[in-house]
Amino acid sequence: MITVKNLVKTYTGRIVVDIAALQINEGEIIGLVGNNGAGKTTFFRLMLDLIKADRGEILSGEKNVAVSEDWKPYTAAYLDEGFLIDYLTPEEYFYFVGKLNNRSKADVDEFLKSFDTFFDGSVLKSGKYIRELSKGNQFKVGIAGCLLQNPGVLLLDEPFANLDPTTQLRLIKMLKEMHAQRRMTIFISSHDLNHITEVSTRILLMEKGLIIKDLHTNQDTLSELEDYFKV
Amino acid sequence: MIRILLNHQWKSFWRSRNAGKSLALQIVIGFFTVYLLFSAIAMGFMLQKLLTNFFPGQDIIKIFCGFILYYFLSDVLIRFMIQDLPTLTIQPYLVQNIRRSQLIRFLNVRSMITAINFVPLFLFIPFTIMVIAPKYGGLTAFAFIISIVSFTLFNHFIILYVKRKSIINSWWYVIFFGVIGAFAAADYFHFFSLRDASAAVFIKMLAMPFLCMLPVGMAIIAFINNYRFLLANLYLEDIVSKSRKKEGAEYTFLHRFGNTGELIGLDIKLILRNKRPRSVAMISLLLLFYGFIFYKPQYIQEGKWYFLIFGAIFITGLFIISYGQFLFAWQSAHFDGMMAGNLSARTYIKSKLQLFTGVSSVIFLLSSLYGFLNWKIVVIQLAAYLYNIGIQSIIAVYFATFSYKAIDIGRSATFNYQGMSAERWVYALAIYVVPIVIYLPFGWLINAWAGITAIGVLGLTSYLLQDWWTDILTKGFLKRKYKILDGFREK
Repeated sequence: MITVKNLVKTYTGRIVVDIAALQINEGEIIGLVGNNGAGKTTFFRLMLDLIKADRGEILSGEKNVAVSEDWKPYTAAYLDEGFLIDYLTPEEYFYFVGKLNNRSKADVDEFLKSFDTFFDGSVLKSGKYIRELSKGNQFKVGIAGCLLQNPGVLLLDEPFANLDPTTQLRLIKMLKEMHAQRRMTIFISSHDLNHITEVSTRILLMEKGLIIKDLHTNQDTLSELEDYFKV
Repeated sequence: MIRILLNHQWKSFWRSRNAGKSLALQIVIGFFTVYLLFSAIAMGFMLQKLLTNFFPGQDIIKIFCGFILYYFLSDVLIRFMIQDLPTLTIQPYLVQNIRRSQLIRFLNVRSMITAINFVPLFLFIPFTIMVIAPKYGGLTAFAFIISIVSFTLFNHFIILYVKRKSIINSWWYVIFFGVIGAFAAADYFHFFSLRDASAAVFIKMLAMPFLCMLPVGMAIIAFINNYRFLLANLYLEDIVSKSRKKEGAEYTFLHRFGNTGELIGLDIKLILRNKRPRSVAMISLLLLFYGFIFYKPQYIQEGKWYFLIFGAIFITGLFIISYGQFLFAWQSAHFDGMMAGNLSARTYIKSKLQLFTGVSSVIFLLSSLYGFLNWKIVVIQLAAYLYNIGIQSIIAVYFATFSYKAIDIGRSATFNYQGMSAERWVYALAIYVVPIVIYLPFGWLINAWAGITAIGVLGLTSYLLQDWWTDILTKGFLKRKYKILDGFREK
């Protein structure tokens, strides 16, 4: 369970995140939508304790993420290339992440087998360092690295933006399956309203740091969102 | 067009995120440049007098002519080390309505504005005007100056070409240094005299001024060659076309250290696979040979042990000092991931300390070969080693928590001041002052060996307290973590 209390973050006087109260229950898939500058990525960074909040706190399982490091073992995130170690080969990166999460090499190999279709043959055994992969393939490596950790909480920042259409659909399917298997709490931000309403159980609409809508997904959600984003 | 591009360069310099700091550096570099140019002018004007004094009774024009090719040969070497490849982020310009030839012309013009191109002019032209012109006439002197300028430009463009080529294929390095080395060796062993050749060439030119068209031709060919190479390579793809298949590596001996071992393995790969950290590590290894300077027999005979201990600290600690300088910044590109990943800050800090211990141990073993000179050197190096793993490494990690500037590890290290800032100078100071402070009371009041013992014992004690230090360093690290993260995200 994740609880946000009075969270405020400002940059040079401008408010980027301002969330008075928010509670996320275990097993929810949260879709974060909003135009550029709404504060989605900043909110993710706050959850990962990568930036310091001006006020307020985020509790993950009763503990403030900025104080205790207990959230790290069950939280996985991929926001951008800054999460990849670009001078490793993809395999080395997976083994490294696996090792940090107490998964043996054989274990990781087994896991990667199930990703064969997702990688589409251009990631594993490519003879390239991650820095030489295309942006889309880097993203695949990042997402696989997250899922490899078998996390309780997963954060993905705009995963659909860099993936080809086939992989986008595969990702949605995979997330749903994994969610069904173990009650994973997932946060996804996206500009793709179709995908996000399809995958999420709850949608948070952000505008200038505020959460202005908090919707439980049903058949009307998509049109409601489209109304908001109408030009 | 070239003016607009120059203007953009100017803006990019002033508007870069760390303009303030790089301005301070530019001023320092500018100061040295002015000093260098000033020295060159002064030399140029005094050359006549110097040559007369050093070679009394000889024809100074002949001596002067014999010196010119020497200068240009060493000029080639110096350029290879310090001359920057002019780069302009061409991407946004390629799709604009600008001819490719214009972009290249800009790159070439921009590259010519560098101090090293003015040194030979300042050095040689005064002599030419003061001595050669009166004797051989204005026209000859003019032709002479033309040939000096041409040689300068020839060197300039040849080096740009060779440097670019050697980025693509490292054989160019080998061939380049082979050719220069062959010239130097041939001259040194008297197979052939560069001095005679130089004198012959330039004296001939004094007799037949039109020969200056020869160097002019060489310069033009070098320019065209460089121009064509750029024209063929002005594409977005990297010029680097190495398609070597990359293999993963595994360091099994690190497995028993758990997560700390994983992180150390990561650091090792970082060093091996990235240009800048690799050159830092190479230099630390090469400087092991400094022992031959610090451990001179006369110092040992005269019992100047204090000199040896500081030398030893420097030699065995160089890796910690130089790699530690950017300890976290090396990972700035993926620091977000490191901090969000499943590893505690304490493990991270601990891995850095253990990396230092491991590498220092290897360096200590290697440097023990100096024991063949005198066994006492090994004892001194042991003290230095204990100091390095116990105290130096703590200092390095502590100062690393204050460095908030990202660096690009793919760029080469020579004259690359990226990531340097005021804390770096404090760090350098701490590295010198701390061992002196430990040594002095014992070394002064008792004797040098007491001072050396103090350094070793204190180092060992501090090393045994490493867990305690790790806690303190982690606390400081967590306090400044956000600042480090913020800084590293601003590339």
